[in-house]
Amino acid sequence: MSAETVLIVGAGTAGRSLALSLRRADFAGDIVLVSDEREVPYDRPPLSKSVVVGEVDAAGVTRPDRAAYAQDRVDLRLGVAVTAVDAAARTAQLSDGSMVTWTALALATGAAPRQLPIAGLDQPGVHRVTRLDEALALRDALVGGPKHLVIIGGGFIGMEVAAAAVKHGHRATVLEAAPEPLSRPLGLEVAERVLAWSRARGVEIRVGTAVEQVLGDGQPTGVRTAAGEELAAAVVVAAIGVAPRLDLARALGCAEAAGGIAVDAGLRTSIPDVYAIGDIAAYPSSYADEPLIRVEHVSVAIGHGQVAATQIARGEGAYDDLPTFWSDQGDVTLNVVGAPRADDTIVWRGDADAPVCTAFYLRAGRLRAALAANDTRTLRAARRLITAGVSPTPEQLADPTVALIELLPG
Amino acid sequence: MTQVSIGSISDFPEATPTRVEADGTALCVIRVGDRIHAICDDCPHAEASLADGDFLAGDLEIECPLHGSAFNLVTGEPSEPPATEAVAVYAVTIDGDDVLVEV
Ligand SMILES: Cc1cc2nc3c(=O)[nH]c(=O)nc-3n(C[C@H](O)[C@H](O)[C@H](O)COP(=O)(O)OP(=O)(O)OC[C@H]3O[C@@H](n4cnc5c(N)ncnc54)[C@H](O)[C@@H]3O)c2cc1C
Ligand code: FES
Repeated sequence: MSAETVLIVGAGTAGRSLALSLRRADFAGDIVLVSDEREVPYDRPPLSKSVVVGEVDAAGVTRPDRAAYAQDRVDLRLGVAVTAVDAAARTAQLSDGSMVTWTALALATGAAPRQLPIAGLDQPGVHRVTRLDEALALRDALVGGPKHLVIIGGGFIGMEVAAAAVKHGHRATVLEAAPEPLSRPLGLEVAERVLAWSRARGVEIRVGTAVEQVLGDGQPTGVRTAAGEELAAAVVVAAIGVAPRLDLARALGCAEAAGGIAVDAGLRTSIPDVYAIGDIAAYPSSYADEPLIRVEHVSVAIGHGQVAATQIARGEGAYDDLPTFWSDQGDVTLNVVGAPRADDTIVWRGDADAPVCTAFYLRAGRLRAALAANDTRTLRAARRLITAGVSPTPEQLADPTVALIELLPG
Repeated sequence: MTQVSIGSISDFPEATPTRVEADGTALCVIRVGDRIHAICDDCPHAEASLADGDFLAGDLEIECPLHGSAFNLVTGEPSEPPATEAVAVYAVTIDGDDVLVEV
């Protein structure tokens, strides 16, 4: 009987990665993985891309299957929430009335949809896509001929749903309150291009358009904007962003930073034997200028889980990978590497109209990030240049005849 | 395990990934010199056919055309994110001019 128990709160991308990395790190103790969702852990990215239009079903996003948890002797508890944690007694209270005593606690609670003061937003017929059951409900609402969707929010997820719907013959109108959607993560110049690609593919995007009310009584019939205009819609989707779920970490008194829980490179919070991973973790990255950054992307969550596993098992490992993420918007696939900043200088390479191109982000002459659109070839070079700390000149970056990969040392 | 013929050597031009169906399994097949490699064609990350990707000769990898994960032809392991799982690697034998894969 082992004396060690790892309790993982949340079986999303980060929690699942940690649970399934512990045995590989030779951890011999007990692993308890608690999820307040009912489904066996699944991939979230396909929800807004392929699940909502029926290209992929629930089985297609459930990876690995339940047997993998049994094989790794992970005690997977589904449909159960951790309601309270006690750092002194090292216990946790679960919503099914049970109690778990832990020697290491990993908080992987992710992010939950933001609440906005929009009247009628919480009526049952308003769709969301943060969870599998929600994405399947939207898929079912889109069956039976072309529909008009109004999507509230022009972030990545809203734009993905819009692009997928249009590709499948629906009409999609994205309403975004901010004047320049996507400009915070991508910078204005690149964001404008990304919006132009979507528009060219038939997505209607209205910026500076705040929604004041979702019309309807249980079954939405449209929206009213702050300017008083009414738009009818068969389907209303709220994609208004997410906020990290910090209540348990706060109750423990974990130090906070960058809108999340501050951790070191080993994913340790300020409380002994308490780890924070994934969307909630503000971690140090040599690819950013800020002391700690919070990144809401899959590869970071997976990497956090892997490093937390070696930390818990044998006290070693540090996370400092190049941040990467992707966004599939219909036939435009965006891949972003590094941590772009809105005030970076942009250099373009390739054909931005097609699009098959890459935007390089330069800060004080140094290459810090890149966004590749349908351009994995340049993505590969960008990834290697940024990790190696090599900065070609703007002329070299822009010149498609320069083989960037050959500018790497060795 | 069954051995299935997937064509003759000349069906596989040097360093050009090709998608082949063998007994219901989609394979990405590529000839490198006098060796032929076969890996699972479905990228384990999302929905892409690896045969549409680039062959990276220096690393003996196939790069996914969608998000750029690169898979080793011998081990199946990805060397670049976002994929984290390996693709299946299939044993290939060359019998005269005939290319056989064990699926
Ligand atoms: C629709 C959509 C599309 C996305 N697309 C991309 C993409 O293309 N590329 C990319 O890189 N990233 C994408 N992301 C972001 C990515 O999915 C997240 O960054 C990642 O899942 C974060 O992992 P996590 O484990 O921190 O959180 P999550 O995966 O959100 O998991 C947290 C889990 O913890 C559970 N939980 C919370 N509190 C408790 C509690 N007290 N008790 C029990 N369980 C609890 C939650 O219900 C949830 O299941 C997308 C996200 C969404 C929603
Ligand atoms: S589908 Fe291959 S890397 Fe994403």
